This record gives sequence, C-alpha cells and structure tokens, in this order.
Amino acid sequence: MIRNYFKTAFRNLWRNKGFSLINIVGLSVGLACCMLIFLYTMDEVSYDRFNVNAANIYHLVVDDKGTDGQVHKFSSTGDMPGPNFKRELPDVQDFVRIQGGNYTIKRGNEVFDQDALYVDSNFFSVFTFPMLYGKPEHALDDPHSVVLSEEIAEKYFGKVNPIGKTLDLKVGDGVLAFQPFKVSAVTRKSPQNSSIKIKMLLPKKVNHDDNQWNNFFENTFLVIKPGTNIKQLDAKINKIYLTDAASQIKENADKYGDKDKRSFSLQPLLEMHTSTDYPADNGLSDQSNPMYSYILSGIALFILAIACINFVNLTVARSLKRAKEIGIRKVVGGQRKQLIMQFLGESFILSFIAFVLSIALVQLILPVFNTLANKALAFSYLLSFKLVAGYIGIFLLTGLLAGFYPALVLSGFNPVQTLYNRTQSVGKNYLSKGLVILQFTLATFLIISTITIYSQFSYLMKFDLGYNDKNVVSITAWNLDKTKIPILKSELLKDPSILSVTADQGGRWGTMAHINGNQQQRFDMKHIDEDYLPLFQVPMVKGRNFSKAMVSDSANAVLVNEEFVKQAGWKKPIGEIVDFFYNKKKYTVVGVVKNYHFLSLTEKMSPMLYTMKPDYPWGNVFVKISDKNKSESLNRIQKEFKALFPFIPYQYKFKDAEVAEQYDKEAKWKQIVTFGAVLTIFISCIGLFGLATLSAERRKKEIGIRKVLGASVEGIVRKLSTDFAKLVIIAAVIAVPAAWWAMHKWLENYPYRIDINAWIFVLAGATVLVIALATVSYQAIKAAIANPVNSLRTE
Amino acid sequence: MIKITDLEKFYRTEEVETIALNKLSIHVNTGEFVAIMGPSGCGKSTLLNILGMLDDPDGGSYVFNGIEVAHFNERKRADLRKHNIGFVFQSFNLIDELTVFENVELPLIYTGVPSSERVKRVEEVLDKMQIMHRRNHYPQQLSGGQQQRVAIARAVVNKPKLILADEPTGNLDSSNGNDVMELLTDLNEQGTTIIMVTHSEHDARYSHRIIRLLDGTTVMENIMI
Repeated sequence: MIRNYFKTAFRNLWRNKGFSLINIVGLSVGLACCMLIFLYTMDEVSYDRFNVNAANIYHLVVDDKGTDGQVHKFSSTGDMPGPNFKRELPDVQDFVRIQGGNYTIKRGNEVFDQDALYVDSNFFSVFTFPMLYGKPEHALDDPHSVVLSEEIAEKYFGKVNPIGKTLDLKVGDGVLAFQPFKVSAVTRKSPQNSSIKIKMLLPKKVNHDDNQWNNFFENTFLVIKPGTNIKQLDAKINKIYLTDAASQIKENADKYGDKDKRSFSLQPLLEMHTSTDYPADNGLSDQSNPMYSYILSGIALFILAIACINFVNLTVARSLKRAKEIGIRKVVGGQRKQLIMQFLGESFILSFIAFVLSIALVQLILPVFNTLANKALAFSYLLSFKLVAGYIGIFLLTGLLAGFYPALVLSGFNPVQTLYNRTQSVGKNYLSKGLVILQFTLATFLIISTITIYSQFSYLMKFDLGYNDKNVVSITAWNLDKTKIPILKSELLKDPSILSVTADQGGRWGTMAHINGNQQQRFDMKHIDEDYLPLFQVPMVKGRNFSKAMVSDSANAVLVNEEFVKQAGWKKPIGEIVDFFYNKKKYTVVGVVKNYHFLSLTEKMSPMLYTMKPDYPWGNVFVKISDKNKSESLNRIQKEFKALFPFIPYQYKFKDAEVAEQYDKEAKWKQIVTFGAVLTIFISCIGLFGLATLSAERRKKEIGIRKVLGASVEGIVRKLSTDFAKLVIIAAVIAVPAAWWAMHKWLENYPYRIDINAWIFVLAGATVLVIALATVSYQAIKAAIANPVNSLRTE
Repeated sequence: MIKITDLEKFYRTEEVETIALNKLSIHVNTGEFVAIMGPSGCGKSTLLNILGMLDDPDGGSYVFNGIEVAHFNERKRADLRKHNIGFVFQSFNLIDELTVFENVELPLIYTGVPSSERVKRVEEVLDKMQIMHRRNHYPQQLSGGQQQRVAIARAVVNKPKLILADEPTGNLDSSNGNDVMELLTDLNEQGTTIIMVTHSEHDARYSHRIIRLLDGTTVMENIMI
C-alpha cells in the first residue's frame, strides 16, 4: 500500500514538473530560512550554558533610583559587594569580579593594543573555559602572570607553547612603563556563545583597594548554593549593603548631594545575554535584544507559510485534473482515510525533497547569514539533539500544513461526479483567494517595512549633524602626554595640506552640577581646546569660543550647548555660574554652542558642557586634512605621531566613517528585511504564476468561445488579469494599516525619524501589483493569443 | 441478489428539482445478465450508481444480497463495494499515472491482499484478457479496446459477484466492442451477475433481459430468448 502511494506520488510530481518545482523551491527556501532562525535562536538561548556551573552563577546588578523617581539600571559594581556578601551569607559560595580593560603590549619595537580582562584568581573555578596549555587552578595567582587565549598566543608567539615566556605590558609611565608578565596558561578560543570572551586575562589588581560601595566599574558574579531562594537572598544582600555602606551613603548625600537610592539584585547568568534591562558591558560582550529573534522568526515563518500556501493552492487548483483518479480509487474500494494518507504522503515526499535541499541551501548561505546577523554559527550545531528534533519537527509540520487541507478536500470528492465530469471548480474558491490575499498581505507588509527602513536609514545618514566631519582624521589613544599635544600640533601644521589639529579627552563623560543656586543638572562633558569647535565648524550662538589669550579660560570658563541653556531655563546664559559643588569649583559660562549631534541619532540631544581645564587627559586627536594629497597627509600624521608617542599604538579612522559605524545595526537590519521581502514576494509570485497557469488552462474553453464571438486579445488578457489584480489590491489594503502600525512602533525607537508618508504605501502597493501582474500576464497573454479552434476541439 | 423497491432519487438545483428515479422497483437474480436501456436522462446512470453504492437513494429500499444498504454510510458502502462489485465505464477510467499492472492491482491493494498473491492474481487476469504483453505500459500507450480490457481486468480481479458496466462499448469501434461483449458474456457464464447500461440494441442482445427506463421508471421488460 505504502509503496503504491509513493509510486503515484513520485509519478505525479514528475509529471507536473513545473508545479513540483514551484513547490520545492518555495518550501526549501522557507525551510532553509526556518533552519537558519532555529540555529540563530538556539545560539541565543545557549549563551553561557557551556559553563558547568551556569545554573548557580548570578550576575550582580544595580537599580539606581534618582531623586526624580527615574530608575537607572546598570550591571556594574565596585570591589566591595563580592567579598562582603560572601563573608556574611553562607548561601553565597563564591564570587568572581571581571573588569574590561585595554593594555599596550610591546614586542620588540612594535606596540599593540590588546583588550584584556582583569579577573579574580578563582576565575577558572567559577567559569568553565577549556585549556590548551597550562593548568587553570593557579594560573592567576602571581600578580605578574597573564593568561592568553589560543588566537592571541599565536599572534604574539606563533604556534609554539608560550608557557613561561613573557609579554611586556605597559603598566605606568616613564622608563619603567613596560613590565614583563609571564604567560601561565593558554585557553582554547572562547566559545562563540560566551558572554565572556577571553583574549587576555590579568590578575585583578586589588592594590588600590577600592573600598567604596558606591563606585561602579566592574562585573561581580556570585556562585549561589543550589536551591537558594533568590528573592530572599536579594533582600539579604540589600540589608547587608544598607548596613555596611551606611556611613558611605550618608557621606555621599551630605558631601556630593548624591541622594539616589540603590539596590542590588541577582540576575541569572543564563538570562544575561538576552536581557534588555541591564547592559552587559565592562568586559562582557554580545548582549542582544530578544526582539531580533522574534523579528527573524517572524520573517522565516512568513516565508514558510507562503510556501505552504503555494502548495495548498496549487494542489487544490489542480485537483480537477486529479478528480478522476480520486473517483476511480474510490470506486475500486479506496476509503477516504486511505486517500487522505495518500495525499499527505505526497506532501511529505515533497517536503522531504525540499528539506534535503534546504540543508544544502543552509550550508550555502550560512556565511552570508553570519555576516548579516553578526554571528559565527556553524552547521555542526546539527549534532545537537534539540536542533535535529526541531528540524524534523518543522519538516513534519510543513508536510502536514501543506498537505492536510488538500488531502481533506480531494479525498472528499464524490466519485459519481468526478467520473461523469460533473465536478465544479470547487465552489467560489474563497479559501484559495483568501490564501493568495494572505500571501500578498505578508509580501506587501514586508515591502512597506523595507521601504520605511531604507528611508529612515538614509535619513539618518544624510541628517545634518550640525558639524562637519568630512576629511577629519580621528586618532584614538588613551592617556596621551599633555605636553606633547602642542608639539604634535605645530609639527603637523607645518604641512599645508593639514588644516587644523585639536583634541578631546575621548569617550563619553557625564556628570552633575548645581545651577541656579542648588538646582541639580546632569549633562555630558567634554574637555577640548580652543581649536575644537572651529575644526568641526560648529558655530557659537552667544558669547565666544575659548581663547588661548584669556588665561582665565582654562581655569574657570565653560561653554554650554543650546540644550543645556534650554534645560537650565536661562534667559541670559553668558555669565551664569555652574557649581561643581563636590569639589567646590565654580565656572562661568562664556559662550553658547549651537546644538550639534555629538551622540548617535538614536539618542536625543543632551545638554553638554565644555571645559578647557588642563587637568584632564587627552584621548582623541582630530586632524582636519585637505581634500588633496590625502595619503601623504595620512602618512605625515602617522610619522609625527609615532615619533612623539613611540609606545602608543597608532590607529585612526575618518570621523565620518566612525559616525556611520554607529548605524551598523540599522544597516544590517536593512539588509535582513530586504532579503525577507525579496524572498516573500518571489515565493508568492511563483505561486501566483502556478495559479495563473491553472486558471488559464481551466478557462481555455471559455476563452475560445469568447474569441470566436469576437473578444480581443487585450480584452481577454485584461479579464484574466483583473481577477488576480483584485486580490493583490485587497492584500495591499489589509497590509497598509498593519505595516503602518508596526513601522510606527519601530520608528518610535528613533528620536530623529522620518514621517511615514503615503508615498511609501503607494510605492509598495504599486511594486507588488506590477510584479504580480507581470507574473500573471505571461499566462494570460499566452491563453489569449492561442488559436480557439484547438481549445474548442478538445471538448 | 438485488431487490430495489420504490427507489427515488432527486437532483436539486436552486430553481428546479429533477426527478431522476421515480419509485423504481427492479429485481435481479444471481447469475443474470441484465441490460438497462432508455433515452438520455432517463436515469440509467443514476440507477447504476446507486446499485454500485457510489450514490445513495433519496427514498425506497435497496436490498443487496439480503442486506438493506439504502442507508449505509460511505465507509460501510465502500467496504461492501470493494468486496462485491466491479465497475466498467464507457471512458475506461484508468489512472494515467499507473501502469496496466498497477491499475489492475489497485482493488487488491485496497482489499488488503498480500503482495505475492496480488502478482499472481493480476497476471492471471491479464492473461485471461490477453493483455499480459502490455503489463508495463501506461494507459495512454494503449488503444481504446486494450484500455477497456484493462478496465475489465480491473473490475474482475477481485472476483466480484456483480459487475456494473456503463456503456462499456460506447467509445469503441464495433470489432473491439464485440470483443468486450464476448468477455462480459464469458464472465457471466462463469457465474458473475452483470448489469449493463447501454444505448446499443446490438449489445443488449447479449443479455438475458432488457429493462427499459423512461423518466426514472420502468416502462417495459423484455426477456431475451
């Protein structure tokens, strides 16, 4: 019996190659998308799970409630909580602290920048990282030891075992700046699904003995006894904090006006990767918003659903041709159940072929997908039982989804009617029409999304940031020797194609001060020199820029931006006082800077204060070069920089490229959604093509009669096409409000965004309609120009 | 073997109700060869479909082998049908995707005959129908007469007690038609009851009895001598 099903199924597929191809292509693309998303989500939920102790490791996070009632959530702590909680609470079995950092390494005459993590020496007893060389237990005991990862070890030492060899790390300034650290162990490359990525581990220097509860600069992980009630433990640690830190909290409030209420809580390690509340930073990486998994899964399911709809529609539409077969099978004794099995069998065979193809397809597109989704997924994940089970699950689901309805309809045919050619074209085909509408609704939805994302992206890229970042070379280096910056400046400016040089302290800094008496004001702060604003061509709105001639400028003058003035509520900002009450310094506003977007456009304009105080270090040098002789200018800058700072790695970027990088995430999503939209419309259209073919075939006689009676070719093409066009238009009408809502939600993430204009919907609708009509008209024209004699004779 | 009493069948569309069978009563004995004749639309095919349990009557009684089947559901009918009745159609109704052998094998598959037994029985019947040499061909590769022989082979492979033939020679030339009628006569002589719908007086002469229908009811019965 089964053999017979297979035989008919195969022959049917073979005989209708066109339709089989449409179905197989659609289903395999849909399945491949689902497999990729499976891989993606598997990877997402597998984060940090490789740690043997994962279920008992918790990340200490902080809720900081300001006096304005706003809660800031962050995941950094100081040195105090770990050891104190462990000492006082038996449920806390261990703690380990991790801080991200950056070291300069000297090898011979070359210097390198190297990311590093400072960790407590028990790091390897809490986290499970396999070793390539050396033993983990005492690897971090010696304060001058260093643990490298496989790939970093290879970078500095080649492929040999480097245990016992030394690396020169910059730990201070002057002659003794570099000190040797002995390699004590080499780990294997960190699993790609690890939030902690080891490159270089250094023993945590506790030598500065930070004893402040209210400093937040590193991650603290606690190992909790299995079975502990975490809610109760949260309460206990906060009680300890409020007791032990009481005097510090009071001092902070009295001296610095810090009245924020802080509380600790425990975040399971396994929830850290997809947390949207607490950032994974200070040495942790790869945190991702689960929203992405949802969007990706949504797109993949869209595509698979559309492919299944193709199968359903084409099978039902072709059912007339198979009606006779069904009738005969029933006449000779086939029961409905057996026929259902047979048709399901066909859909399963088709799904199986598509399934096998999709595996190949996934292999093929995995590298592209990895770049798009910022992952390092490998198909070897397939060895995971869950994933294999999942794949078999979606295969079965697809077979069932695609085959069930047709099986039900076809097996229900009345043999008397089918054998006497009395079968009508299954009712008015509401279901089939409904499914086509659904397909094109999804396609239109994705096309509207694509156009919106494109226009928002181009809006961000073309946004007038309020400053000129063209031809500005940005050199990032921490703690540059202050005295050498003027020398670098004067040396560089000797070159006529170097137009201007300035510096700031690098990174983003923020603080709080009193204004208007004792009103608290939070703001970003930038340490600059007098050439900074002119180099970026940022105009002053009121007052004046810093000036070298005014000696007092570096001592007590500040500039503020318009937003600062607005928030402060100043009518006459020049001469206003900003009171840094916690170090008892008062500054006078001498100028107001026109607002410009110093942050990514994903953030609102913030108040900014500029100082020229000499006690801040420089971390970022900006050089404006002329459009001509760019490569010579770049060489010149590198040469001068290396001469002045031989032990600081030289790395530069163009400022406009740096700004564009802020939107990498958006660029990636733009690509992903575009792919999704293209695939959806493609699969919808091949399905439509199949339906048009069948419809033209079914109406052959009607078309013949119409032609004999004098209908024109255009008239017939129009008649055949309008039926489908109507469906696509209905689909567009449904998709518009849904897409409007979704895109509106998405755009809300951007303080600077486009308005969703009607043209987007018109363009999307027109695109879909044109593509759909082009698909249908081929068959319509073919049917219309056919000789009516042939079609009428066959009856 | 067959006893129908006051059988009724209506076809309804939105506007009109057509009476296909009007209180029809017929009796067919085991081993008989009965021809049903009448003009187009007189209800011949409807009657045949009800006799074959492909369709159910709207009223009256249908006793098959002593069992009242008029109100059987589809599954019960299918069950009774596959063990007792074989069909032969005017348009052969072979499945295009299956070979001659597989077409004939189909009823045996549905009645659950094991594979080795199936091969034996199919070959036997193909041999009898003199179509063995075409066993691996597809229906489109055969002539009309050959196709009808395959259809008859399929109808008899399950050794049914009753064969229902709906204008079996309608699509054939006279020589092929005669061959088919000879085959049916042979089967009848071996004990199979045959009920055949036909337009052809010539074909009807092969039967023992002709039932003439008009407007869904019997107008005349001729016993052939």
